[in-house]
Parts: sequence; structure tokens; C-alpha cells
Amino acid sequence: MSSHREAPEISQDPVADNADTYAFVSPDVPDTVTIITNYVPLQSPAGGPNFFSFGDDVLYSINIDNNGDALPEITYEFSFQTELSNPNTFLYNTGPISSLSDPNWNMRQFYTLTRIENPCSDNPQTCVLGTMLACPPCNIGPRSTPDYAALGAAAVHKLSSGEVVFAGQRNDPFFVDLGSIFDLGDLRPFENLQLIPTAAAPGVDATKALNIHSIAIQVPISELTVDGCKPTNVMSSKAVLGIWGAASRRKMRLRDWGQQECSDAGPWVQVSRLGNPLFNEVLVPLGEKDRWNASQPVNDQDFAAGVQHPELAQLLPVLYPKVFPNLAALTSSRADLQAILLTGLPAGIVPGFQNNTGTVLADMLRLNVAVPPAASPNPLGLIGGDAAGFPNGRRVADDVVTIELRAIAGVTYPLVDKSYTPDAAASLITQGLTPAPGRYLSTFPYVGDPYDGYDTPSS
Amino acid sequence: MSSNTRRSFLKAIPLTPGGRTAALAGVGEASTPAPALDRRAFLEGSVGVAAGAVLVIGGPHVASAALGGPTSTRTDAAIVKPSGPPPSETVMAYVRDAAKSEVTVLSGQRETTYRDPQLTQRLLDAAR
Repeated sequence: MSSHREAPEISQDPVADNADTYAFVSPDVPDTVTIITNYVPLQSPAGGPNFFSFGDDVLYSINIDNNGDALPEITYEFSFQTELSNPNTFLYNTGPISSLSDPNWNMRQFYTLTRIENPCSDNPQTCVLGTMLACPPCNIGPRSTPDYAALGAAAVHKLSSGEVVFAGQRNDPFFVDLGSIFDLGDLRPFENLQLIPTAAAPGVDATKALNIHSIAIQVPISELTVDGCKPTNVMSSKAVLGIWGAASRRKMRLRDWGQQECSDAGPWVQVSRLGNPLFNEVLVPLGEKDRWNASQPVNDQDFAAGVQHPELAQLLPVLYPKVFPNLAALTSSRADLQAILLTGLPAGIVPGFQNNTGTVLADMLRLNVAVPPAASPNPLGLIGGDAAGFPNGRRVADDVVTIELRAIAGVTYPLVDKSYTPDAAASLITQGLTPAPGRYLSTFPYVGDPYDGYDTPSS
Repeated sequence: MSSNTRRSFLKAIPLTPGGRTAALAGVGEASTPAPALDRRAFLEGSVGVAAGAVLVIGGPHVASAALGGPTSTRTDAAIVKPSGPPPSETVMAYVRDAAKSEVTVLSGQRETTYRDPQLTQRLLDAAR
């Protein structure tokens, strides 16, 4: 989770694995939106000598739908290239790396950023916003990367077009008790009540010492909305953006090292995508996950059954006998989950709020940009009374696992059927995890510096 | 264009964002102009026709017909003569459907499926 290794095929291809997507109104620059897509999940910080990188043969994209058709009106594309200064050493660096141009750094990566408007129209408008934009190195240790914060800061590029971008290694902002949830749906607060009970124990943050690669972009809101406006009316449809990340590979690859040849050919083919956290992970059955990754949000009607009748909601009463009796009796289609994940919440459900994009069922992260950043963010987002958080977009510290587990357990069903009473246990579900201070940054790119391999040799 | 039509298109062919981005030149093999991801053009089958230059890989005696798009079922295909210089990128091809005599050719970011019984048979013979 959120979608780390969530599908059989992409789990074998981590550089193209879109593990998480975040989108929020930037708290310190509230006339902008920050979008972050993460790849190469579950990195052990000590993973050298070939430290982690983006794929030169992968096309990474961030898609924005601003008119509710579940098709992108704006796409940002990131394509990478790796340069090797000295092929005759096995070392990633031959001395301390003190800057992004330090000759001691042997294997560096750059990227080209392209913005495409109306990519699905007859006349897409393409604009290259930056070339040879430098990534920071991976965080190796005190001898190799003695001032990592400075290297990370130097890799924040402010473009003349108004965007601010960063691409490189970070610590994984996503926190989750992976070991528990995938051990037959164990929920640590209730593990003594599980079908196979164990003694109560605190939650374990499985990703707290792992790194990831982030692509982050901060864009003026007026560059993303349908008519270039900066919406202030929360109830206006123009205020809602649908956002998702994706990665594509060329259709064919030729490997022939005898001829010193490794070539790609054909069009780009999408191999991974991510809008809402946990969608493919939890709501799409194993046999369909690869197809979901290759498909487009506009076709998510194909996967709506997994939202309307989620398997996990049926399993919880079985795994926790007598704990979720009301959920067990709830056999109706989950219109609440469909609204949260596939259409956005329409007006009239949550007073003073909506993030609805219309009737097309599509897994997109929906962000109402007219909702200002919260002065004191609640990691439980909207169900915690904080409309600036998930499922209104997603901030880096939102506890999406707890939010979605509670929703699936029935907490949000009264939004569409006031006669339904959620089980008491549903609103008690919690991961019990609090990310350590310093895991996040207060300014762009908001995701914190990666852990170094010397001090964090293994998780 | 109805949303149903658009939907069926998008379902058949996953969006290929790079395929419409000539601006990626210098990275990978994007220097070859790619056919635009164009709903109307796709539905009309014009994308494949534009890619007819890759016929050179079959040699001068191959009489191939552009089908119009990777999953197009266009049947009124016309013989297309090679035009322009040979592709500089690696060209790859595979027999997509032997029963339908379909061969798909990939060059740069282009993908074209031809219905060509002679070429299909020659490839199948070569694979024996």
C-alpha cells in the first residue's frame, strides 16, 4: 500500500510503479497546487552500489482533468536520462558530493519536463518547460553526501513558466502497518478479536525507514483550471480538478547485448497509474489489477463493482466475529464509496463542500482548489472535519489508510443513507501510527530528505 | 462525438502520452514525429496511413495495406508505397494474428498493423 507493489506485473517493475499520488493546495503558497507522484517504492537506503533512479526508458506523467470528462486537459510529462562520467569505476561517486555539478558524482540523472494542453484533442499544444533539469543524488552517507539537505534544495527548479519542480529520492511519506493489514486483514487495535487472535500490540510503520523517488510539481492554480480562473467558490464545478499519475513504457524492447544493442520501439503503453490511494490495492481483484494499471480512468466503470461491493467490507465481519454486525447486514451498493472514489462528493452531502466531477465513474484524486489550506491539518481529512484533506485531494501526512478502512467499514455510509448506524468499531479503526517529526518539509517539495544508507542500513 | 464512442476508443488503446510529443527529442527515440493521439483521426483510420513509410522493411515486393490503426478493423485498405527515407530507428515487427494475416510493425513511436498475407506467410515460414 498505498499502491506499493499492488499488482502482479508492476510489482516486477518498480521504476515504473506509481506508488502514491498527492495533490493539495500548497499551504505556504496558496495560489498554487502541489502534485507529487512517487515511484520506485520500498527502497532500502543502503541499496548500492547502483543506487536507485528513475527509468530512462519510462515516461512519467501527471494528468489533470479540469472539466469533469475524466480525460486529461493538461498533462505534464517527465522523461529522464542518465549520464555516466566515468564508466571505469564501480563507484557511484569517487569522493564527497558537495554540489549537483560535483565531478566526484559519477552517475547523475537529468530530466525534460513537457506540458501538453488538450492531449486528447485534435490539436494538442506541447511546450517543453525545461531540459537537463538535475536530480539530486541518492543519500548515501556522511562521507559521500555530507550535506544532503543542500543537495536536495539545489534540485528544486523554479521555471520561467511559473512551475516549480523537483524529481529525486525522498523518504517515503506514506505510513502504513503493512505487516498487519496483509496478515489476513489484521487491524492491530482489534487483533485480540480477530478470527485468529493475538495479543494486542501497537501499530508498526513499515515504511518509516524506507525511501522512494518523488516527482513533485507546484503549479499556479490559474494554470490548471478550465478557464484560467482562481476559484474562490467551493461549490463551483470549476474549482474541482481530477488528478492522477501514470507511467508508460515503449511497446517493445529489444535486448541484444551481443550487438551492444538495447532498443525500444513503438508507442508508449501505460503500465501503471494512481489516483486515489489503495484503489487498485484493495478494491480491484488480483486477476484484474494489471488490466486496471493499463486502462484509463474514463473506463473505470469496468471496475466499479469492486467499489460498490468491496470484498474487504464483506471480509471484516468474517474476520472479526460480532464486531461489525451492521456492516455484515449492509448488502446495498456502496454509493458512499462510489461518490468518494469515483465521482467526488456532490453538493448536499457534506455541508459547504463538494468535489464532484460529474457522472463519469473514474478513479481520480479530486481536489477542490477553492478550499484553503488548513491552519491545523487533521490527518483524518474530511472525516476529521478538515475539508482541505483526503478525499479532497491528498496531503503528504494524511492517514489515508485509516480513512479508507473506516469508510469501507461503514463510517461514511450514513452520508447516503441516514438510517444506517455504523458499528461502533468502525470509527475506532486506526493504524495508531504517528509519523516522526522531520518526515515532511514545510515547503516544496514537502516530502522529506531521504534516509542515508550509512545510518539506515536496513529496515 | 459521443462519450460512448470516446470511451470505446480509449478502452481499446491506452493513452500513449509520449506518442504525441515530438518535444521529447533528445531523450530516448522521440526524434521521430509521432502520430497525434487524435480521436477523430484514430476513428477514421488515418494514423496508420501516415505511418506507411515503414513498409521499406518488407522490401520492394511487399504489397501491404495500412489498416488505419493498431486495433482498427478497417477493410478498405489501400496499397501504400514507401515514401521518405528509411527509418533510422530500430524496426521491430511481429505477427499479430496469423489467421487474419496481420503483421504489426513498430518504428520510433509509430505502430502500424498491416494485413498482408505474403509478408505474414514469409515471417511464419522464417520462424519454422
